[in-house]
Amino acid sequence: MALNQQQQQRTSALTKIVLNNLQHQHDWTNLHPHTQLNLPRALLYGLPPKRLYVHPDEQVEIIRAEKELGGDGRVPQEAELEWVLPLHLSEKWSPAQFAGVFDAIEPRPPGSGEITKAEEERAPWLAYKGSRRGKRVLLATVQDDSTVTYYWMHDGLVKPRQN
Amino acid sequence: MATSTADHPPVRISLIAGRYLVFDIDAVMVLRRSHGLCGVLTGTMPQNPTQNLFLSLPQELRAEEARMLVDRGAAYIADEPNDHLRLLKEMSSGAGEKRREAYLRELREKRVTAKRLFDEEKEAVRKMHEGKRGKAKKGKQTQKGEGDDSLFFDSAPSAAVQPPAPRESLPAITPSTSNAMLGEPAGTSGAIADEDLPEPSAFYKELNRRGYFTTPGLRFGGGYSVYPSDPFKFHAHYLSSCYGWDEKIPMLDIVTSGRLGTAVKKSFMFGAEREEEGKAKGEGQVRMFCVEWAGM
Repeated sequence: MALNQQQQQRTSALTKIVLNNLQHQHDWTNLHPHTQLNLPRALLYGLPPKRLYVHPDEQVEIIRAEKELGGDGRVPQEAELEWVLPLHLSEKWSPAQFAGVFDAIEPRPPGSGEITKAEEERAPWLAYKGSRRGKRVLLATVQDDSTVTYYWMHDGLVKPRQN
Repeated sequence: MATSTADHPPVRISLIAGRYLVFDIDAVMVLRRSHGLCGVLTGTMPQNPTQNLFLSLPQELRAEEARMLVDRGAAYIADEPNDHLRLLKEMSSGAGEKRREAYLRELREKRVTAKRLFDEEKEAVRKMHEGKRGKAKKGKQTQKGEGDDSLFFDSAPSAAVQPPAPRESLPAITPSTSNAMLGEPAGTSGAIADEDLPEPSAFYKELNRRGYFTTPGLRFGGGYSVYPSDPFKFHAHYLSSCYGWDEKIPMLDIVTSGRLGTAVKKSFMFGAEREEEGKAKGEGQVRMFCVEWAGM
């Protein structure tokens, strides 16, 4: 029991470090811890200051739409809520554990703005924020010197972005 | 041309020194078009073996690729040295006995033919020389009689110069191939070596099923480089590693591979086969995850 408690303290400390880092270093807002019975640990979700991830197919749609607008026409890119999974560098996770996290969460964190079918038909790129959004979490890996590195992890085969 | 690949006879994969090699260009095309396999071309030029920019046949396949093809009935493994030994051993007993007799008979026929050819040749040469020697002998004899006391020539008996003709026997021949001995060429039965082939991982089979091409991924720091289609047409999308379902992966590995993948414009993909009760290994659902740098 004592060991379990220790572990809980450790993960809650981890969550706190990541939360602070996101809030103060990366200017995230709306940050909330998220606990769920079938989740191995608490996740975070929040709103980044600008959009963090654009699917390559969505990018194609956006470029097409902007071309139609002509000239300086830009499609505004609003940030969307993202999942964050706090981890420590010394941890070792198995594919089963990652699969457990993905199986437990919805693609969109709670409180994400609804996007209707009509909107998606009018603006195809919006589907990537709505019905076509795949499950993804931001792996926040903490090191003892309180460095936090962020990596996307997608569920399934998702083609890489054209950086 | 694309249609002709569908009904291609099973591809011959030669097992040589533990490597699975395809030597036939048509077979290489079939594997590429119909089976999503590009293998690795390993042949270089004998005159410039260090050039590795453009490699050609033979094409090397991984053992699991070879196994997958054999399971599909699209290929057979030709393990020539072992098959050769097996066929030779068979000759000393049972059904092989007949083959042995046939082989000895054939060998004798060859020797008879060879002897006939030799004799014909000898006869022709002898006839040619006879005409010439008739004139040359006369001149030589007169020369001999003039200047020589035949001190040395007498001591050499003339019989030694012309030894008595040995008993006429068939010439020995060395067959250049063993085809006649084996009946069927070695390695065509495909009955050997299949059981030594490792089962392809469910992870690899899933990638192949979805139409992804894979090449060895070491140069990008992973297990496989995964291409969305033929590598002639696309860059690799993923560098991938396969883990066990409950295998613990150090976070540092995920971070470094993710970082490396992003640096070469790929995403680091890892996968594992879900272990479920009542399902054999290789039949479970395969889960895959992609990791890339978040840019923050």
